[in-house]
Amino acid sequence: MRVVQPRPPAALPPTGLTDLDLQSEVAVAARHRGPSPWHLFLVPMSLLMAFPFIWMVVTSVSTRAETRRFPPQLPHAIQWHTFVEAWTSAPFAQWLLNTTVVAVASVVGNVVLCSLAGYALARLRFIGSNVAFLLILATLMVPFQVVMIPTLLIVRGFGLVDTLGALIVPNLVTPFGIFLLRQFFKTLPVEIEEAARIDGASRLGTLVKIVLPQMKAPLATVAIMTLLWRWNDFLWPLIVITSPDKMTLPLGLATFQGAHSINLPLLMAGTLMSQLPMLVVFVVAQRWFVQSLASSGIKG
Amino acid sequence: MSARRSLILVVAVLVAAAAGLLSACGGSDESAQPAGSGSPVALPSPGGGGSVVLWHGYTDVERAATDVFVARYNATDPGFKVDAVFAGNNDYALQKLLTALAGGKAPDIAYQYGSSMANLATSPKVVDLSPIMAQTPSFDWNDFFPAERLATTVNGKVIGVPALVDNLALVYNKKLFDQASVAYPTKDWTWTDFRDAAKKLTDSGAKQFGWAYVNDGSEDTVWRFLALLWQANGDLLNADNTKSALDSPAGIKAMQLLYDMSVTDKSVYLDKGDGSYLNVFNSGKIAMLWTGPWDISSINADVQYGVEILPADVSHATIAGPDNYVVLDNGPQQVANAWAFIQWFCSPEVHLAYATATGHLPIRKSETELPAYKAYLAKYPADEVFVANLDNVTKARPNIPTYPKISAALGQAVQSVLLGRAQPEQAIQAASQQIDSILAAGQ
Amino acid sequence: MGAPGAGLDVVGESSARRASRRERLLASENLAGWAFTSPAMLLVAVFGLAPIIWSVVLSFQRNNLLSGGTWIGFKNYERLMQDPLFAHSVRLTVLYTALFVPISIALALLCAIALNRKLRFIRLYRTAIFLPVVASTVAEAILFNWLLDPYFGIVNYALVKLGIPAQGFFQSPSQALYAIVAMTVWGWLGFCVIIYLAALQGIPKELVEAAAIDGATRWRIFRRVELPLLGPTTLFLVIYLSINSLQLFDEIYVTTRGGPLNATLVVVYYLYQQAFQFFEAGYATAIAYVLFLGILILTIAQLLIGRRFVHYRS
Repeated sequence: MRVVQPRPPAALPPTGLTDLDLQSEVAVAARHRGPSPWHLFLVPMSLLMAFPFIWMVVTSVSTRAETRRFPPQLPHAIQWHTFVEAWTSAPFAQWLLNTTVVAVASVVGNVVLCSLAGYALARLRFIGSNVAFLLILATLMVPFQVVMIPTLLIVRGFGLVDTLGALIVPNLVTPFGIFLLRQFFKTLPVEIEEAARIDGASRLGTLVKIVLPQMKAPLATVAIMTLLWRWNDFLWPLIVITSPDKMTLPLGLATFQGAHSINLPLLMAGTLMSQLPMLVVFVVAQRWFVQSLASSGIKG
Repeated sequence: MSARRSLILVVAVLVAAAAGLLSACGGSDESAQPAGSGSPVALPSPGGGGSVVLWHGYTDVERAATDVFVARYNATDPGFKVDAVFAGNNDYALQKLLTALAGGKAPDIAYQYGSSMANLATSPKVVDLSPIMAQTPSFDWNDFFPAERLATTVNGKVIGVPALVDNLALVYNKKLFDQASVAYPTKDWTWTDFRDAAKKLTDSGAKQFGWAYVNDGSEDTVWRFLALLWQANGDLLNADNTKSALDSPAGIKAMQLLYDMSVTDKSVYLDKGDGSYLNVFNSGKIAMLWTGPWDISSINADVQYGVEILPADVSHATIAGPDNYVVLDNGPQQVANAWAFIQWFCSPEVHLAYATATGHLPIRKSETELPAYKAYLAKYPADEVFVANLDNVTKARPNIPTYPKISAALGQAVQSVLLGRAQPEQAIQAASQQIDSILAAGQ
Repeated sequence: MGAPGAGLDVVGESSARRASRRERLLASENLAGWAFTSPAMLLVAVFGLAPIIWSVVLSFQRNNLLSGGTWIGFKNYERLMQDPLFAHSVRLTVLYTALFVPISIALALLCAIALNRKLRFIRLYRTAIFLPVVASTVAEAILFNWLLDPYFGIVNYALVKLGIPAQGFFQSPSQALYAIVAMTVWGWLGFCVIIYLAALQGIPKELVEAAAIDGATRWRIFRRVELPLLGPTTLFLVIYLSINSLQLFDEIYVTTRGGPLNATLVVVYYLYQQAFQFFEAGYATAIAYVLFLGILILTIAQLLIGRRFVHYRS
């Protein structure tokens, strides 16, 4: 299957269009005349996806008695105090701080180390690269419950038990990040990098100055998913953390959830507050999912 | 390097590493060293300035109460500190404890479900409290209800003290009974009365059910069935726990009742195991529950409910599900300190105060004779029936390591009958045979 | 892995100089390769591989994690081969994966295309699609349990209004697994969509424009230009989703718990039961390693197929 060869750079001015509708400027004008039919698909889809989140919001402002009915009903009055209660009845701020530290450290570690490894696996031919890649993937193939005891023993050996380090260090790289970036590195045309190498740039320099700027969206993806996973990780923190002042948000939120009774409004309020930073990050990070006009000149 | 060569290399690396590890660790056979039961134990006096770590899964009101009482104890200046730590609830508590035991740093006291006792007893780190109790007669082990003592005793060793005792009783919605003109349940109710009432209280058009049953195949499904089995004077296993006694007229009768009510009468709301039965009860759509004190505090204020003992076939037998505090061996001083705290925490006055704060049932008979007991009953009137019902707990689940597997087999049988996928006799026979093979395979 | 060395030949150099230059380049490539990957490999080896290899020992023991282990050689593996419940769990897991992966990928691609446009509210739509990934598994479970409740759920309410009898969903042994498929497709959609979005961003507009100018229809442009360029991403998702769905556990744990009547007893749930309910950690570890081998073989197969059919632009 032939792939259409790209035209040389600077031959085509950036069009500013980001969608498939490319017939002509007539089409552009036509689109501005009325709403796109895609809304018909996106609106129900979004509602379906957002439904549980909406339910979480509704539950968080209900009373406990209202949540103990089935089927659930809308609350009679909005109980805003649950949010205040969730914040004050427990060391929420401490949990938030711990989780942020762990998540940010993991994100930084992943973006840096997975880029290096992914790039090498994608571009460099070195002895053992296939084995290394397979071994990295292999660590994804065993469920955590099976390895959690040896992992605890290893972490204990490093003296990290009951510290935030135990949550950060094992997660400084993820096979997901390495694999994803490898795939994306391979989609970039290699000619630019070769040109840079001929011009005398080091491999690291090429990676940082030439390649990574083209990888904004995949890097944002790795950052977001790493953030998400570290933020919501429950079992490993449960195993390795014992001191209340080292607890992360999921661990803390579990204290709202009893064996027989669950303080649903409080739990939902707490969960919403804990998920809010990630939503903000996601909304902000979307700018890297929009093709920037400047970069289109550099691409091959 | 070709993909195939890579694969061979990977496998070789893994095999070599595994072989290396196998030769280093292979054949390690740390057999359990049972703490000698009955031999006197020399414990130092409590003190030493360290801290006793207590792992629990309490949340909400219970957690607040636990923190208050622990603080109260620490304020008496016992010479050490007690640290109550939230260590996950449900299955997580066991996972965390097992990992900690295998990974080297266990707490001093851990709250664990009764169903884990038989297996926990095999650990050399779990302390056998019977010699210690023998040396502290003031603890008065016999003051605890028989159900609890049965649940914490494994092969003659006492491996825990009760944290919580409960039992199953009949909780019913008075308004639904009034609306259907059915008389409230009484102490003399039989299975027939129960079934009839459930039928009259079921209205499929209004999606109202006479009874609810937890149908997720777990221990929650099984223990309700065991209450029925014991009411019919049946047994799960024979006296020395070597063979199944399920395949009996009593067993079939108990299963038949479930079939009749769920499949024939369609008067049973089958709960998925997520506790939605309580929410449906709160919405006035279920008339009767077989449940325990833990659900009482979650009943909404606008529901008028009553509590009665379970109906009888041959007896009004019920079942208790005690949870326990297990003491782990982190050295004699730690054990001594932990035991000092437990003695205080489980003493009659202290525990009654704790029960008054949490709604738990008393764990000692003598608590019911204290003056403060009246105030406790005034606060939790439903508990009066639950406490009296403890006398109906004459049997306990077999405290053997293979019980979880037996429970799973029985759970499947009960589920299949409730869903109408098996006939009672067939299900009982199949379960009984499975139980026999589980017992034969051993642990 | 490409072969950049070939492209660096400079016209005019003698072949001998070219050969030694290539040697030096390859040597430096080995060095660079290991330099770049060693931090990651070190972490992966210590915290990923070492625990896996360590646990292999457990699979040759009878061990309840409490009283030490007894060496029983391959008995756990022999038992596995004859365990009907294990075979059942494997069938269920394979069925689940065979449904979950293609549906997720197809749906995610569709959504990504829909979201890769300059529409009003596009940021809102994208955030909405991502929300399930952010919602906790507990909330997800509570919600799906309610939606699909046999007596009071909204879905049955709608079905009954349409004249279809109420369904059992999570309570029905024949439907429970499909209900889980629906719930997990919903839960993973956001993840797959942002990956496809990132990939769509990487498709140069010039290629699409060139094809359009050449007169190709929108569908043809998609099939011939964009879909092949999404190959590496699709391969990633196929592999990554397969590895994850073969290890399905969390959603089962918070909803059906392997039931009703073992209808959702996937392999990892069966393994978990063995370790933490039946105190058979040795047997559980053996199950894990058989699963591991299965996943490894499948992944290698997928990589090899990918090597043939997926085109990278280098």
